[in-house]
Amino acid sequence: MNVALMVGQLGEGMVITVEIFFLTLLFSLPLGLVISFGRMSKKFLLRTVTKIYISVMRGTPLMLQLIVVYFSPYYVFGMKISSSYRFTAVILAFALNYAAYFAEIYRGGIESMPIGQYEAAQVLGYGRMQTFFKIILPQVVKRILPAVTNETITLVKDTSLAFVLAVVEMFTAAKQIAAKETTILPLMAAGVFYYIFNLAVAAFMEYLEKKLGYYR
Amino acid sequence: MKYLEIEHLKKTFGALTVLKDISLSVEEGEVVSIIGPSGSGKSTLLRCATMLERMDGGSLSYMGERAAWEENGKCVYAPKNDLKRIRKNYGLVFQSFHLFPHYSVLKNITDAPVCVDHVSKAEAAARAEKLLAQLGLEDKKDAYPYQLSGGQQQRVSIARALALQPKILFFDEPTSALDPELTGEVLKVIKELAKEHMTMIIVTHEMQFARELSDRIIFMEDGVIRQQGTPDELFGNPDERVREFIGKFQA
Repeated sequence: MNVALMVGQLGEGMVITVEIFFLTLLFSLPLGLVISFGRMSKKFLLRTVTKIYISVMRGTPLMLQLIVVYFSPYYVFGMKISSSYRFTAVILAFALNYAAYFAEIYRGGIESMPIGQYEAAQVLGYGRMQTFFKIILPQVVKRILPAVTNETITLVKDTSLAFVLAVVEMFTAAKQIAAKETTILPLMAAGVFYYIFNLAVAAFMEYLEKKLGYYR
Repeated sequence: MKYLEIEHLKKTFGALTVLKDISLSVEEGEVVSIIGPSGSGKSTLLRCATMLERMDGGSLSYMGERAAWEENGKCVYAPKNDLKRIRKNYGLVFQSFHLFPHYSVLKNITDAPVCVDHVSKAEAAARAEKLLAQLGLEDKKDAYPYQLSGGQQQRVSIARALALQPKILFFDEPTSALDPELTGEVLKVIKELAKEHMTMIIVTHEMQFARELSDRIIFMEDGVIRQQGTPDELFGNPDERVREFIGKFQA
């Protein structure tokens, strides 16, 4: 088998994998924060709805969620599904799913903050927004970084689930080549790629942790 | 002028009445210490006065401006914007400092003046440097709170409160988290502020300190002000309970 050809074919899948990874983070990280606010809301209805959302997102397979997100425009709204929607559906499903996990991570971090920080800010005259974004959130980020690293590493590997919507990310590409050439080599190569990707993710997160290590 | 006026303050937590009927007014330049056993409501009184806790009855005014009052048996607060302005009248020093750990000492002191009062950065920094020098911390401005001793942290938190130039400064057991040596350095700072006629209301267990420094001492127990007067009046008080309490601390 031509190794250069294999790497080339895998490479195209790799780009898709990396795209899914970054777009999911881009949308799910802020969305998770919004959902965590809902989860911590004093309003019963909002809190309950978010709780159910998180429960469903965490309690059902991501693979099924991908299918639901892809087919629901047709089954719910009777819209025609174009093939270009596939990639969008992948990003949408991933973002909705990961936001649920991130929401709980944010909540854990926010609720672990000592009340004294809020009180000090209040007496000093900081508004609610200022208190959250200047005083609370930076400290929360430091506290939740290890949990976010875990989730992010899982995301790298979860990207392979995009195959259910026939989005050819790297693992799908590897399987196709493996089947055609009857060799396990492309799958091993894919494994090496995921591992290296995750090494980079872990290294970057460690760098962030060190950067935030200037205070305790 | 009455800087602070509290009338008939009531506060309950569920079924528990913590403050029964507290009236207290503090004049410009006055130093008032509040003493009393744990659970007597001293800290709750301070937290109600600084609006960290909502009152259930009575009224609260700063500089003659009403922050909260009673209407149809319920306590109502002034509109948000008024409260924001009223809050500028006072600062609060906490028992456990509550410095912002992610900010340097300098930033802890300058951030609120810049972000809340819109003082220029240069002006805020100048104020901070002056305060740090005054409190003996000039070499600590780039340090982070975790690098400081408890006494230094408490002095920074006093500087942080003073940087907003409040008219009244509240202290909630400012030395209770400190060992005797560190307590001394914080009390020294508070004494210096008293010399400059800073209006202060101090909840404390440091009897000797309260005696030396205060214009008036309030003894609280079971949610009421049991006795109050000048230090001499209180320390020579005929009230058995007051004498017993003070005696324990001086032993």
